Amino acid sequence: MADDPYKIIGVARTASQNDIKKAYRKKAKSLHPDLHPGDATKLADFQALSAAYDLLGDVEKRRKFDAGEIDASGHEREERRYYHQYAGGDAGKRYNAGPGMGDFEDVSDVFSDLFGQRARPGQRSSGSGFQARGSDLRYQFEVDFLDAALGAKRSLTLPDGNSIELTIPAGLSDGQTLRLRGKGAPGLGGGPSGDALITVTIRPHPVFSRDGNTIESEVPITFDEAVLGAKVEAATINGPVSLAVPKGTSSGHRLRLKGKGINPAKGQVGDQIVRVRIVLPERIDPEMEALARKWKEQVHHNPRRPTGGKS
Amino acid sequence: MRYDEKTVVQRVRRLNSQDLRVWVSEGWVRPGQSESGPLFDDLDVARIRLLCDLRKDLSLSTDAVPVVLTLIDQLNGARHDLRCLAAAIERLPESARKIVIAEYSENQNPTDKSQ
Repeated sequence: MADDPYKIIGVARTASQNDIKKAYRKKAKSLHPDLHPGDATKLADFQALSAAYDLLGDVEKRRKFDAGEIDASGHEREERRYYHQYAGGDAGKRYNAGPGMGDFEDVSDVFSDLFGQRARPGQRSSGSGFQARGSDLRYQFEVDFLDAALGAKRSLTLPDGNSIELTIPAGLSDGQTLRLRGKGAPGLGGGPSGDALITVTIRPHPVFSRDGNTIESEVPITFDEAVLGAKVEAATINGPVSLAVPKGTSSGHRLRLKGKGINPAKGQVGDQIVRVRIVLPERIDPEMEALARKWKEQVHHNPRRPTGGKS
Repeated sequence: MRYDEKTVVQRVRRLNSQDLRVWVSEGWVRPGQSESGPLFDDLDVARIRLLCDLRKDLSLSTDAVPVVLTLIDQLNGARHDLRCLAAAIERLPESARKIVIAEYSENQNPTDKSQ
């Protein structure tokens, strides 16, 4: 942007700060990119205008510019992503006023909504008053991992200070939207209220992860438990259970706890997969070392051989 | 990426936490809620920058902001719907696509059929 910032804002070089501000506002109102999404010319004009105002709106910068100490091109702004660049996509649905097309199950509803509700013959709203359904309000809510897995009732405080009771179904998945009928904006003229649409994100758990209704976790075992087999305690979403580690279990081995995964409101109960990890003590005592040396002399076992390595 | 209130105020130069709280309580910005307070994502931050433009640069009054926001939200919703519709048309077979485009131009510039 090397053009004269005074020309871009449309003021004389002698204009007061106040005049500059006024002229800038007037132009910005007609050029703001979020008021004209997709209009590349207006976007470029607005960026030039913003850069010019950055320079002339600041008394000190304007003085330096007038004195020739800095030039207009030295003040380009960093590239800014405007609101409509986000809001036009799927993420922006949160702020959309009405139902989007994706919310309809029947395609014909899409068009009736897009092109205005045409009154069907013989169907008129009661009385002469104006009635309208309240709009749906969209919210986002972060849910605890275990709440989503087991189901829970949580109260959600809305930005307006009211709170709503939210029933989280067991097996709720990340990104799913819950609809609370009648909890949206109130209707007009006695019309029904809109719905609250709550999109949930699930907070990760330090121990468990999830693949659908299958829960995955890891359990550390000792060297002797791996060799001899043992019963160890494993955490599940419903509390600790006893897990049988078979004799000769390797690190990374996956043990299945049948039916210990998520028991969803609809569908089959999931399993829990426990990955075994062999953990040696921090300090190897002489006895263990001796044992390993003795074992090495007697047995020639190389787990890397089957992969064709040359070790 | 998600940011708490403090981070958002740091990131957006023209914003103070008092403004932000008012905007959230008015429902102009609707961040995700967590037990530790509101969490803002990139969409929310872009919306906050837009609100800074409207309130501070364009000095829109508190009463005018919800009117403008509603229109902007409707505009973006309609743009999203149209984009979905365009993508759906794009996937149609060539012959069907031609019919849709012909019908569309017909509705844009109706030819006078009365004689």
